[in-house]
Amino acid sequence: MSENQKKILEMLATKKISVDEAYRLLNALKTETDAPEGGGGAGMTGKPKPKYLRVCVAPRRGHKHEGHEHEGHEREKHEHDEEAELVNVRVPMALIRSGMKFTSLLPSEARDKVNDALHEKGINLDMRNMKPEDLEEIIEALDDLEVNVVNEKEVVRVFVE
Amino acid sequence: MKRPPVLMRVQIRGEERKFRLWLPLFLLLPLALVTLIILLPVILVAIVIVRVTGRGRRLSLVARTSLGILCSVRGIRAAFDVLCSMPGLRIDVCNNKERVYVSII
Repeated sequence: MSENQKKILEMLATKKISVDEAYRLLNALKTETDAPEGGGGAGMTGKPKPKYLRVCVAPRRGHKHEGHEHEGHEREKHEHDEEAELVNVRVPMALIRSGMKFTSLLPSEARDKVNDALHEKGINLDMRNMKPEDLEEIIEALDDLEVNVVNEKEVVRVFVE
Repeated sequence: MKRPPVLMRVQIRGEERKFRLWLPLFLLLPLALVTLIILLPVILVAIVIVRVTGRGRRLSLVARTSLGILCSVRGIRAAFDVLCSMPGLRIDVCNNKERVYVSII
C-alpha cells in the first residue's frame, strides 16, 4: 500500500472525506500509477496519436551499402549494387481513415471483386461486413504495428509515427 | 481542421534528365471546381439517361462507380475528405540512377 493510499484511508477514517470521495481518489491514484511515466502525449495512456504510416525499404546495412542523411529523410548510398532501391512512403493516417470510409461507396459488384482479389492473396477480409467502428478499431490497432522484414539484401519496415 | 492540399512537389530524376515541379494546387483546385460546375448539367443529364433508360448496366464498373460517387452527397463528401487528408503524403522511390519523389503539402 502506497503512502497516498494510506492518507486517503486515514482521511476516510477520520471522516474528513466521504466513502464516495475516497473511492474516486483511489481510482484517480490507480490511473496515475498505471499510466507510463514521461509519456508527454495526449490521452490517458500518455501516448501521442500516430500521424503517419511509414513504409521503408532500404538496402541492408553492411550489405555493400553505407547510409547517410539527406534532405531530412533516410537516403542510402549504394556503392556496388546499382539495382538496389530505396522506398520511403509516408501515408497520413487521416488518408487511410477516409480511404477506408470511401470503400463503403463502392458498388457491391466492385466489393465482390475486391474480396475475391484479397482472397486470392490469402487475405480473408470481407469488406461487406466492415462497419465504421471496425475501421476505427483497425486504425487504433495500427498504433502498435511494427513490421520488420529482413532478407539478405533488403530491410522492409512498416511502422507508424 | 482539415484543409485541401496546397502544393504538390514532384521530382523525377533520370539518368540524363532531371525534372522538378512545384504544382500550386491551391490555384488548380478552384479551376477544377469551376470545371465541375460547368460540367454539372452534362453529368446530371448523363445520370438521368443512365438511370432512366437502364443503360447503366452496360457501363464499365469504373464508370458506374464514378457516377455513383458523383451523384451522391455522401460520395462527394467522401471524395473531399480523401482530398483533404492528402497533405503529408510523401512517396519517394529511388535507386542509383533514377528517382521519383512526390510530396503533397
